[in-house]
Amino acid sequence: MKSIVRYGMVVLGVLAVMGLLVPSAALAAKEIKIGVIYPLTGGAAAAGRELRAGAELAAKIANNVMTDISMDMAKNSGIKNMGGAKIKLIFKDHQGNPTLGADLAKKLILDDKVDGILGCYHSSVTKTVSAVCEQYGVPMINGTSTSPALTKRGLKWFWRTTPHDKWFTKDLFELMKGLTEGKVRGVKAVPKKEIINLASACEKTEWGSHVSDIIKSLAKEYGFKLKKSLLYAAKSPDLSSEVRSLKAVRPDAMLFASYTSDAILMVKTLKAQKAAPKIMWGQDAGFEKPEFRSTLGDSIVGILTRTVFLPKVADIKKVAGQANKLYKEKTGNDLGGASARAFTGLQTWVHVLEKAGSTKPADIQKAANALKIPGKELVVPWAGIQFAASGDEIGQNVLGSGLIGQYQKDKDGNLVLEIIYPFDVATADMIFPFSF
Amino acid sequence: MDILISSLFAGLLIGMVLALVALGLNIIFGVMEIVNFAHGEFLMVGMYTGLFTAQATGMEPLLTLPVAAVVGFLLGIICYYGFIKFLIRGPMVAQLLGTFGLMLFLRNIALLIFGSEDRALHHGILVDKSFEMGMGVIVPATKLTAAGLSVVAFVAVWLLMNRTKIGKALTATALNAQGARYMGIPTERMNALAWGIGGGSVTIAGALIVNFWSVNPFMGLLFTMIAFAIVALGGFGSVPGAFFAGLVVGLITEIPGIWDFFTYTFNFDWMADVPMTSLKYMWVYLAYFVIVVVRPRGLFGWKQ
Repeated sequence: MKSIVRYGMVVLGVLAVMGLLVPSAALAAKEIKIGVIYPLTGGAAAAGRELRAGAELAAKIANNVMTDISMDMAKNSGIKNMGGAKIKLIFKDHQGNPTLGADLAKKLILDDKVDGILGCYHSSVTKTVSAVCEQYGVPMINGTSTSPALTKRGLKWFWRTTPHDKWFTKDLFELMKGLTEGKVRGVKAVPKKEIINLASACEKTEWGSHVSDIIKSLAKEYGFKLKKSLLYAAKSPDLSSEVRSLKAVRPDAMLFASYTSDAILMVKTLKAQKAAPKIMWGQDAGFEKPEFRSTLGDSIVGILTRTVFLPKVADIKKVAGQANKLYKEKTGNDLGGASARAFTGLQTWVHVLEKAGSTKPADIQKAANALKIPGKELVVPWAGIQFAASGDEIGQNVLGSGLIGQYQKDKDGNLVLEIIYPFDVATADMIFPFSF
Repeated sequence: MDILISSLFAGLLIGMVLALVALGLNIIFGVMEIVNFAHGEFLMVGMYTGLFTAQATGMEPLLTLPVAAVVGFLLGIICYYGFIKFLIRGPMVAQLLGTFGLMLFLRNIALLIFGSEDRALHHGILVDKSFEMGMGVIVPATKLTAAGLSVVAFVAVWLLMNRTKIGKALTATALNAQGARYMGIPTERMNALAWGIGGGSVTIAGALIVNFWSVNPFMGLLFTMIAFAIVALGGFGSVPGAFFAGLVVGLITEIPGIWDFFTYTFNFDWMADVPMTSLKYMWVYLAYFVIVVVRPRGLFGWKQ
């Protein structure tokens, strides 16, 4: 009996010692480092703050059990298949500079030894950063850059969750076509000749110049006349000669691709010059930022912007409402196109890691190529996330879609973005024609 | 036709403001023969001064001009006594590199304090207002007022330079510093005064410009280049020359509008495809280059 007790004591003692030693070594949850490169200062700093807050919120939900959020990543603390490893975000500021972005990516890979990269908002920066990632074989997920060219390079380590500008711009032409067919909520069919003349002004970096090309080709395809198409420097202190040039062709619709400060300057100059197109449409970015709304106030009522997320989505999608509530508590603002997509970008990282079960690049690559996230998991109104593994758009999410919103005033006199397109989820009648 | 008239009108208005920007550079060069690369940064200081004074006090932005003038004057004096005074003892290249260093210093100080975001004025009785002048010409009230006040400032500086004893002393220092010293003119103080007036006039221009353009710490270089082009065109040291050259450069920045006029008048499709707006500042630099090569002393230059 004594020997049994002694034997038991020895076993217990050994277990106790193991218990003291083992967790601190083998069982300790590994930390997964994701390098996040955004424009935290510079002209797009406002967008950078939103992006950062969106990614941070997704990381918080992934790292903690949050039963009030109906997402898979909220059910576990950290990455379940990796022993509850927590996500750690390392933020870097590229200031809208592609060269700096590439340097930061190298630093993150070589010095911080990150397991993957998320970023970078500006398509021009995403281009250089993804090239660095390709060189070092480090996986990169992009949630917010919309230049179509990015997924046409056949990269093996680059995946993009957001739909790109061709899809978004096509949405606009579908809306214009819908206007002529009487499909738009609250607007009777408009004869095509009344909205046939278009003019576009896009900033001249990678993103804007691509949007400009897409507008040119789609205008032709849909039978509209693009009377003027100009490129301008986003950091230009003055846009009055550009605005006069646009006005001179008397366009029925003006289309823009602008970042925040130039979007504000453009609208101010248009108003001062008394330009009066029937449709004003912005390709997201500057046209959707809180600063755009707060600076210009009521003068933007009637302006359209393409987007991937509007607070109104929260009314039609439960999980979006839940995430929006947390985001609003954190920042005081509603989720916007930038923050919702940054959120989705990091959420995709969480799903990829969960599927890969390791941080080995090859496992992550395999997991990303085979990934399928259902639409009900996402805050954005997409059918889901699934990357093209072949064809001419490798790494592009094929289940994304866009929205077109219009600034309108609600019952309390607040400026809100109402969904105008797709027609079946429109939340308000469209204001047509636009006027300052 | 209306695009031609409105482009010409806009070019003349902005030209008057640009002339005021170049005036300070011109005075400093005229008196001391030193090229101030930090000139655009002085303008940036003026813009931030106008912006923050208006925002902090709720004051009408146009009333911040005296504050900007004082700040610019003091900045000029401090730069002279603290820095330039020692620099002018060195060779020409030291002066060039010295003011270049001053440019980097001011720019990075602004970056440190204000951050790199674009900031703009959104209040004021003139902001967002515009006048219809007929013939399709619409002029923003802020630009019209800025142009008017630039002319006033210009006339004031011209009177100061030509109708006062101080102005004559400045001109004497400019023409022959040694001779002026023999006549009892305190040339050192005149140099400082040139920097003060130069600084003051450009910060006034900055406080005017901030009424319609946004400001960030990197914007100085564009204006330094434009000011160089104006001074080269008008002639180093010539006040009326700077005014005239300002108008010319203002019109040059409106070449895209004039181009549009010809495009639509003659209906040339190929002209519509030329990206003129992307190149609008290129013409200014081209004019600068041509003037420096063809007529180095400028149109009205009196200094060899």
